[in-house]
Amino acid sequence: MSEVQKNLWKDWRLHALIFVIVVITELIGTHEFSVGPGVILLLPMLYAIIIGLALYFTPIVKEKQSKHAEPLIVLGVTLLIAKIGVIIGPSLPQIIAAGPALLLQEFGNLGTIFIALPIAVFLGLKRESIGMTHSVAREPNVGLIMDKYGFNSPEGRGVMAIYIFGTVFGAVFMGLISGFLATITPIHPLSFAMASGIGSGSMMAAASGSLVAAFPSMETNILAFAGASNLLSLSTGLYMSIFIGLPLTEKLYDVLTKRRDNRSDAKTGRGA
Amino acid sequence: MLKSVQEWTLLLLIFGVVSILGNWIGYNIFPVEAIPGMVILILIALAGLILQKLLPIRIPSIAYVAIIGVLVSMPWMPGSEQIVAMTNHINLLALTTPILAYAGIAIGRSWADFVKLGWRTIVVASFVMLGTFLGSAIIAEFVLRMQGII
Repeated sequence: MSEVQKNLWKDWRLHALIFVIVVITELIGTHEFSVGPGVILLLPMLYAIIIGLALYFTPIVKEKQSKHAEPLIVLGVTLLIAKIGVIIGPSLPQIIAAGPALLLQEFGNLGTIFIALPIAVFLGLKRESIGMTHSVAREPNVGLIMDKYGFNSPEGRGVMAIYIFGTVFGAVFMGLISGFLATITPIHPLSFAMASGIGSGSMMAAASGSLVAAFPSMETNILAFAGASNLLSLSTGLYMSIFIGLPLTEKLYDVLTKRRDNRSDAKTGRGA
Repeated sequence: MLKSVQEWTLLLLIFGVVSILGNWIGYNIFPVEAIPGMVILILIALAGLILQKLLPIRIPSIAYVAIIGVLVSMPWMPGSEQIVAMTNHINLLALTTPILAYAGIAIGRSWADFVKLGWRTIVVASFVMLGTFLGSAIIAEFVLRMQGII
């Protein structure tokens, strides 16, 4: 937290609001419904983010509270990480045993390039798509793109767009799809637990929280693997993007757009 | 520095009180049982935040917090059993609810930007997240099976 933010604890209005939101959402509790063979879980944390967002548009929340809430997310995450730390500790022997899987699944983050980049190019996005799909666009990646291409570049706009989407909907999105995918696909919940660590505390909490709610008997292992994987993503994610992700995205973008240009050339050629 | 520590402590205490109440309502853990665990978590978080300020190496405070959390709860650490037993009374999801409530209030300010994004961005963003998640899960599945862990 920066030095300018002082006396946030005195914002009783904000803390009282959070208190009320927490009480209401925990009283509603967890609900689930099936979609085909999968299960979608509605968790208190998901209602909390939606109620918080909705309140922002009422006179109850002032601009000041919204500004104060931002550094408090970071502080709340330190408490969450402390909890994950004490889950990882006792599971350290299992985590070491699963080490190779944990390390290699980091390369899975490149999956976004192969799935999302062709879609972005197909939808007609130009160089924006490089910023959009080279990673999940959390803070370090935004920094990398801004540093390399500049704030007002197409790549910069692309990475910001995904960053904003992730900030607003990341946790809700991950919370909804993780439980669903884990119940609908044959992939093991522990594999999804490792995949939950994508380098964002709130997304990891939402994704692994849904997994725990869907598979309560595996709680400790799910949280330990998700936490360990998230730490790994936080520490290696940026280097992964610099040395592999971004160059790969650039290459694939060239291949995809060249093919598209050739095809349109061929079309106009035939037409002429 | 002292002022920051005081600020962090007060805020973490507020956070702790809210979480303990959520922990009671949502997960039926009586506050008296949960308090010692919460105190431990707050101390770990504080230690991490302070270390980050004191040490010259520039790594994020949550990395310090995580390392301290792991160290104090490792099986070969004296007293780790009590720490694990006490913190077990704090449900992880009870901690995430207030975080996301703060996040909801904070992201209201990004809403206007979000509305401007356009449908193509929303489609691409969904596949970006899905791609990362599925890609990692598939690799983990292969390796874990090869190792015979699952």
